[in-house]
Amino acid sequence: MAPEHDRRGGVARRQPPKAAERLRRLLVVVPYLVRHPGTTVSEAAELFGTSEADLLGDLDLLFVSGLPPYGPGDLIDVDIQDGRIWIGMADYFARPLRLTRSEALAIYVRATALAGVPGLEEARALSTALAKLAEGLGPDTLGELPERVGAAAGRAVETLGTLREAAAAHQRLRIEYYAASGAETTEREIDPEEVFFAIGNWYVTAWDHRSAQERLFRADRIRSVVTTGEPFEPRGLQGAGRPLYTPGQDDVAVTLRLGPDARWVAEYYETVRETELDSGELEIELSSGRLEWLERLLLRLGTNAQVVAPSELKDRVRELASRTRKRYG
Amino acid sequence: MHPLERLVNLVALLLESRLPLTFEQIRSKLAEGYGHGDLASAKRMFERDKDVLRDIGVPIEVVATDAWEVEQGYSIDKVRYYLPEIAFTPEEVSALFVAVRSAGDVSAEDAVRKLLSGAEGGILAGFGGSGLAGGPDPNLRQAAEAVAGQRQVIFGYRTSRGERSERRVDALGLAVRSGHWYLVGFDQDRGEIRSFRLSRISGGLAISGEGSEPPDGFRAADHVQAGPWGPGEPRSTATVAFSPEVAWWATGGVPGSEVVATRPDGWVELRVPAQPGQSLAPWILSFGPDAEAVDPPELRDEVVARLEAIVGS
Repeated sequence: MAPEHDRRGGVARRQPPKAAERLRRLLVVVPYLVRHPGTTVSEAAELFGTSEADLLGDLDLLFVSGLPPYGPGDLIDVDIQDGRIWIGMADYFARPLRLTRSEALAIYVRATALAGVPGLEEARALSTALAKLAEGLGPDTLGELPERVGAAAGRAVETLGTLREAAAAHQRLRIEYYAASGAETTEREIDPEEVFFAIGNWYVTAWDHRSAQERLFRADRIRSVVTTGEPFEPRGLQGAGRPLYTPGQDDVAVTLRLGPDARWVAEYYETVRETELDSGELEIELSSGRLEWLERLLLRLGTNAQVVAPSELKDRVRELASRTRKRYG
Repeated sequence: MHPLERLVNLVALLLESRLPLTFEQIRSKLAEGYGHGDLASAKRMFERDKDVLRDIGVPIEVVATDAWEVEQGYSIDKVRYYLPEIAFTPEEVSALFVAVRSAGDVSAEDAVRKLLSGAEGGILAGFGGSGLAGGPDPNLRQAAEAVAGQRQVIFGYRTSRGERSERRVDALGLAVRSGHWYLVGFDQDRGEIRSFRLSRISGGLAISGEGSEPPDGFRAADHVQAGPWGPGEPRSTATVAFSPEVAWWATGGVPGSEVVATRPDGWVELRVPAQPGQSLAPWILSFGPDAEAVDPPELRDEVVARLEAIVGS
């Protein structure tokens, strides 16, 4: 019989049975429902990230559960009427299961990261939430972490408030934008739909009336912003989670060889291909619609990077270097 | 009896019992769950249930029920089971949701749900779009565990210059900069505090023992703070002029910089923090002909030399 036990036990550990998942959810949902009587089924399902059918299935099993001897007065009282839920006779489930250490640490670091995002309206709520977590859970759960995790200061973006308001209210904006890709400032009208933060920068997804297409703008490169007073109809453009660079059909393939001090380029920009060379250099291929930003990047990298292709880029970098050199007499 | 019902009843029974219960007692009280079949298979079912409960974080304790420690009893310690009361406002819980959701961390999202019951109602009101993007970081949990427990860790690391080596580090802190996480720690082989970008760690972190206390006044974020002068605290200054096209952007992007003059042609002279041994030249060159190194003369000379190397290449 012993091998049988090991085998079954092993299977159970590798793949947690569905009952475990459902129990985990119940031990979190039930305390909420005990303390928020009359919550609607749809609100509870949305809050706990489950379907209404699954939630009702779990509650169905709950009201045949309780304490010995499992008589009518010992069972948990689940009452669902007109789409609202009441749970009684379950005082022992009135508080949820404690956060595991790993869960608490995950929440704490994620919230710290978000609280460090400059210009975020949720920052205040996050810092008070972090303080409450640290005090409520204490060193037993969080260990030394609260004192030892932090966010480095980032660039403040003054236009952020206006951008978020305009996106929420569907208001057209007129902006002055410094595009790094072309190293030029232009004025344009945009319909801002989504404002989001990704890898250290704020972005605005908008319909650009100047180019008559969807474009992604980096908020810190918007020099000035004014509302035009004109509303717009949202087109459903994607915000958070979208790729930060979408190759266009006129894109050029650029191949560079990076020495040790230029390797950061491969981490910073999206590459199409990366190849380690025997020489110790890293060869990368990028896709780009404009070359201006690459000229400046290569000026910065100097002899730490070589242009393999296109040869036009090499000439343009030399030309830019000699133009810049003239500033120094 | 449905396994879920059995599990719920088991948790309720152990939570409400004032004394530890032996398996015999559990079996007789929860007869519908464990009373069928022979004793050995019922015990096996109970053992599996116990593992399931422990997996989801239910603190089941095993204690001796008699002075001779012949019989074992099972109990759930209420203090360890229940989440302490933390009264969050709806805004706080919403903000925590945004934080974990935007990081794409599903298990942390479930964890935030545990905090909902202690919050006032009306949470859905502030429950809209997340507005942030990011991805789960596989090394972050391990690094957080190491910092929380003040441990020493071993991991494979590749520097930004592409050099690979194994590191032995006392985990002192965690810091995030520009969307990237760094472990800040005392590097045992190099004898100083270093920061390690988690995305450059390969193969995970292994705990290798107890770590050490950070120095007085330690702040993890200080060790990843960086500017055009490179990492660390700047100790000197340089003057750089910018064209009107980029001056506004350049001035906003460098903490600690100040405008010292505006030229008649609109160029703006900026005094920026610098660090001896860390050149500002690459940063200045990244602005192309829109920036000019003014002072000190060595910086000017270096920029010119770099430009001439490119022109002559």
